Amino acid sequence: MVGMSLLRSAAAFAARLGPLKAGNNAAHIITRTIPRTDKVAIRWGHGKKMFVVKPSDFYDRRFLRLLQYYILLTGIPVVVFVTAVNVFIGEAELAEIPEGYEPEHWEYYKHPITRWIVRNIYDSPVKDYEKMMAAIQIEKEKADMRLTQLEVRRQMRQTGDGPWFQVPTLDKELIDHSPKASPDN
Amino acid sequence: MPKDFDTEAYPEPPRQTPVVDKQTALPNPALILSKVFYYTVDLPVTTFRDTIDSIRSKNKLVYYHQKFRRVPDLTECQEGDYPCYYEAEMQWRRDYKVDQEIVKVVQERMRACQQREGNSYEQNCTKEIQQFHEVTKNFQSRYGDLGAYASAKKCLMKQKERMMAAQAQSA
Repeated sequence: MVGMSLLRSAAAFAARLGPLKAGNNAAHIITRTIPRTDKVAIRWGHGKKMFVVKPSDFYDRRFLRLLQYYILLTGIPVVVFVTAVNVFIGEAELAEIPEGYEPEHWEYYKHPITRWIVRNIYDSPVKDYEKMMAAIQIEKEKADMRLTQLEVRRQMRQTGDGPWFQVPTLDKELIDHSPKASPDN
Repeated sequence: MPKDFDTEAYPEPPRQTPVVDKQTALPNPALILSKVFYYTVDLPVTTFRDTIDSIRSKNKLVYYHQKFRRVPDLTECQEGDYPCYYEAEMQWRRDYKVDQEIVKVVQERMRACQQREGNSYEQNCTKEIQQFHEVTKNFQSRYGDLGAYASAKKCLMKQKERMMAAQAQSA
């Protein structure tokens, strides 16, 4: 073992002295480490390429790449569309209502996309108002009917001449009025 | 270009440009800067606007302010007539919004006046300030502490309280 270390140090020394000599390169000598202390980069150019040991950022970068892709996939068409609408169609201008003219319900909005949505997708505000009033009327009628039903119950229970709260009893004709053998029958 | 603001409510202060009395042969840096600003910012922006307007001039859209019909008030509704209550409530809400906007406009006028007059606003803006005080006092007495769940009924009750207080005071 001592002989091995001697050989190794001798090979290192020989390699240091003459690296280009035939017998001195790493492939032939036992040792593979040749410290080349005289050929270190002295001019600080782009620097020596280092392998920096850090945890993998592949997954983070992949996530950000995919996020960017999926956002821009619909984002860019939407932006292009809205810009085209603003440039080519443009917003509406305020005007006085002409005499005898009733504007449609979408003609009260400024931006053309809002106008389109109100025209094709939403109901007109008149219709919404009427729907609300119809709902209120239905609820009012339901409440009124419930109150009258309570009143009717009260009356029928009290006076007893209505169809409700009738208790079925046996027929009067079934009573046997003939005199019995014993008095308490 | 859209219609500019109402020039009577927001009068422009008189121009104070001094008479040009050039006594040196050196160029005027203010003039140079204004020309630079004009050529780098003003002209491109104006040409851009004009091109866009010329593209847009083919389809001109208009929009209007909606005018609502007046419907019977909360005081004119029968008791238990819920659709009438609903219509009165909606009308009251619209009126509330209009009143809020009126207060904002009056406030804006007072602020513009103060900005225009500078340090002598207390004596020069008396009309705007007095109008602002009046409008806000009325708004406060009518819609003052109704809160976020304000409704026509609550406002009516507040009015009743006001009338009772006025009667108690006069009697």
